Amino acid sequence: MTVPPPVPPPAPPPGPPRPGDDPEERDPGLARERTSLAWTRTALSFAALGGAVLKVNVVTGLLILAVAPVIWQAGRVTRGRSQAGLPVVGAARLFLIAISIVAVSLLCLAVAVFGRSAPGALR
Amino acid sequence: MSWSRRIADLLPGSITRDAGGTEPDPRFTFANERTFLAWSRTALALVVAGLGIVQLLPPFPRVPVGRHLLGIPLIVLGAVLAVAAYVEWGRSQRALRRGEPLPQSILPWILAATVTAIAVIAAIVVLVSTLR
Repeated sequence: MTVPPPVPPPAPPPGPPRPGDDPEERDPGLARERTSLAWTRTALSFAALGGAVLKVNVVTGLLILAVAPVIWQAGRVTRGRSQAGLPVVGAARLFLIAISIVAVSLLCLAVAVFGRSAPGALR
Repeated sequence: MSWSRRIADLLPGSITRDAGGTEPDPRFTFANERTFLAWSRTALALVVAGLGIVQLLPPFPRVPVGRHLLGIPLIVLGAVLAVAAYVEWGRSQRALRRGEPLPQSILPWILAATVTAIAVIAAIVVLVSTLR
């Protein structure tokens, strides 16, 4: 009577992990948490810039301030997508940020060139 | 590669749709996204610095355009960095999906070169406005 050879443990599937894998298994939520915080900081940066522009030009400042909650909301989408096992790429949100910054800098350029300066505001 | 094709490659959707390869480790995707977000905050900080120089500083004596000379390049640099960060994010995401080495980033080079140029302009403006 021969003893059957011991069964080796099942090898992990080769190649990079697939989208269905739960990211929590490898990094217990920390990567997602850090990314969520980075989104919050980015939204706050828009709010801070809007607040600073508000002192120079009220309409432009309000326009930039209105972007902040949009970015905040876009960052919150991450959580639901990755919990549902969907790819967490979401290129559209990052495109939104890039476009917003270009628009904001064009607005600031217009304010800087044509706006009435407040000389000596820091004097 | 034609220019229209290059621009179409940058639009959201094409990066996930036709990039080929497999979905990378989510940690890498998250890290790539955080790098993009950090660059966009840098871009916003440059815009606010440029606007602050033009609008809040008192004018330089004897150099009437001094503030615009310093502030407007900073605002333009902010816009350029935001677009470059998005392009860089797309290139990195493609490389992650295909398991290739990450491409060399040009963003630190853009930032360092422009900030150096602006510092030189600032030194000249300050020298001209203080010295007779």
